[in-house]
Amino acid sequence: MHWRYFIVIILGLQTFLGCKDPKTTSNLAHGCLNAQRVTYAKGFCLTQQNGYTLLKILDPISGQMKQQIALVPEGARYPEGFSSDQLIKVPITSIVATSTTHIPPLELLDRATALSGFPNLDYISSSLTRARIDSEMVQELGQNEALNIEVLVSLKPDVLMTFSIDETQNGLEKVKQAGIPLIYNGDWTEQHPLGKAEWIKVFGALFDIEAQADSIFRTIEKEYLNLKSLAKQSQTQPTVISGALYKDIWYAPKGDSWAAKFIEDAHGLYLWKDTAGTGSLQWNIEEILQYTHKAQIWIGPGQFTRYDQMAQSSPTYTQFKPFQDKKVYTFSSTKGPTGGLLYYELASMRPDWVLSDLIHILHPGLLAPDYEPKFFTPLAP
Amino acid sequence: MSRKEIKGLFLWPILLLALSVVLNLSLGSVYIPTDYIFTAFFTETNINETWHYILTDYRLPKAITAILVGGGLSVSGLLMQTLFRNPLAGPFVLGISSGASLGVAFLVLGSGLFTGLGVSALSGPWAMVIASASGSFLVLLAVISAASKIKDAMALLIIGLMFGSLTGAIVSVLSYFSRAEALQQFVFWSFGGLGHLSWTGVIILFISVIIGLVVAVASLKSMNALLLGPQYAQSLGVSIKKSTFLMVLATSVLAGSITAFAGPIAFIGLAVPHLVRQIIGSPDHKIMVPSSFLWGSIIMLLCDTVAQIPFSSMTLPINAITSILGAPVVIWILLRRKNLLF
Repeated sequence: MHWRYFIVIILGLQTFLGCKDPKTTSNLAHGCLNAQRVTYAKGFCLTQQNGYTLLKILDPISGQMKQQIALVPEGARYPEGFSSDQLIKVPITSIVATSTTHIPPLELLDRATALSGFPNLDYISSSLTRARIDSEMVQELGQNEALNIEVLVSLKPDVLMTFSIDETQNGLEKVKQAGIPLIYNGDWTEQHPLGKAEWIKVFGALFDIEAQADSIFRTIEKEYLNLKSLAKQSQTQPTVISGALYKDIWYAPKGDSWAAKFIEDAHGLYLWKDTAGTGSLQWNIEEILQYTHKAQIWIGPGQFTRYDQMAQSSPTYTQFKPFQDKKVYTFSSTKGPTGGLLYYELASMRPDWVLSDLIHILHPGLLAPDYEPKFFTPLAP
Repeated sequence: MSRKEIKGLFLWPILLLALSVVLNLSLGSVYIPTDYIFTAFFTETNINETWHYILTDYRLPKAITAILVGGGLSVSGLLMQTLFRNPLAGPFVLGISSGASLGVAFLVLGSGLFTGLGVSALSGPWAMVIASASGSFLVLLAVISAASKIKDAMALLIIGLMFGSLTGAIVSVLSYFSRAEALQQFVFWSFGGLGHLSWTGVIILFISVIIGLVVAVASLKSMNALLLGPQYAQSLGVSIKKSTFLMVLATSVLAGSITAFAGPIAFIGLAVPHLVRQIIGSPDHKIMVPSSFLWGSIIMLLCDTVAQIPFSSMTLPINAITSILGAPVVIWILLRRKNLLF
């Protein structure tokens, strides 16, 4: 056996896999042209068809269609050309969610009672749903990566909403076989602050209360845009950094990401706004030390909630101006009764609250003097 | 060994296996009465649709998978211990699980880094199986091509270990640059799991394990000869090269297919052959191979029953349970016997 055989095999595999290169097509090519009312989200579209609503779940980056589902009103005939796992009778009455970001839309739509199961219940913070958990109306489903199939099947929910877009996750195939339809909720991949919130429309369509979902979204949108123009009126534009070290690498949101967009809309200057991409940038300590005195405010220093905690963790932090000036703000201090972070649950549905918090930090005085931050609080000494 | 003794050696494990299967089928997160299980399997009546689905499409394939995984890994562990004449050898010494983890790592962790290479194009319910199998296959190809060049089995053992280190290093680099969610998915794969196989998966695994076992049975004679050392074996007319190849092949098919479907299941392959040697006290592979399969299946079924934590919605990773329950048992047996049979 020679190395050249390996090269041949690898090249062969490469061509084989390369053949399936995803076609880069836009939302429009998938029939989202006539889609109504989706403005910011890139991961889904809803189209009114003859007698049913067509929900398409798209890959937000390539626009490739991941899933299409016909939402058929009670009593109407099933349209042709859909397999059984692509048909959902609406309004649904029960749902199993897998991400805490799915809880606020349910509650806003007054459908919190539909939630019948959830993996890792402790992550949920909302008092309404916590009360239902305490009276055992929501079943624990174990870990998201290893959902308890037996309990899930016995719950017989009308829909299982997952947040992972790939089907390689163990066990999901079993759920499909049991006749429980899956919907991939890609809210976390949306890069526009309002895009994540817009996913409430998917919930609205599932519960057949689209008008209600639309109006809730419009209210949030209006509030967000008002706050954005309010922030613009400020004379100052403070420079902001974000992120924290993990071992000796600094992780911070890239310039096109969700977090960076918030800072921009709050009329702040994100120091790394010119880094292209939506994930996180990874810089080593030497690189990051160049920026110690270039920013006034530091938002989101990882999991830290106290200054002494940061200084103990790495002396590098103490070199930063915002650290010395005590201008570090975190969302890690606002936790629910069972330890879930409120920000992870609510921020995607309430971008207006995130924005007002940031405006409160960046432009003190613009908001009412007695403003109570929802997520971001200064670090404790 | 008399016919009666042999009967006794197999009768008990077979009864125990049947009992373990019933126990495994009747215990789980959802309470299903045991008498219903018999009703469901032996009559046409369908009392509760959910129970029926849980039994026939979740618990039954899981139990069959447990039997195949436990039995297959034990036999391949036995093969490797005999081939390398080393009590520390197990089914994964040739780098099969490291190859599999490399394949899965490229799929799960690498999709962000290698979008250009088209790695992410592999999707769907079979993606993990394909990635894992092709990873093991590539590493094995390398090990077998090495095996055909060198005569000493020990060198093969070291080459297997080296491949393990090499792939482990690549996986580390990939993990270092991955998102938390992807990393978590990878970690969950490495815990192993029996419950996610569809019936098609179970059938493919069944066929692969049967093929592996047939090859193992074909090398029974040379295995017994190898126990006396390679020189003796050669003087008995055993071709070392051919028997090495057959044993490596059987192990690869068994451990490779099991890892592809159930993930890297630890401990069973290493420990069960030792356990069985102490129980039956005979090195004859004609007894060792079927006994290892039976005891491996029983232990895997019992471990899976415990891992489900009956009547709670919690489950524990199967890999942790096999070691937590298994290691003390092996230690206890060795201490009681005072001397190691190998």
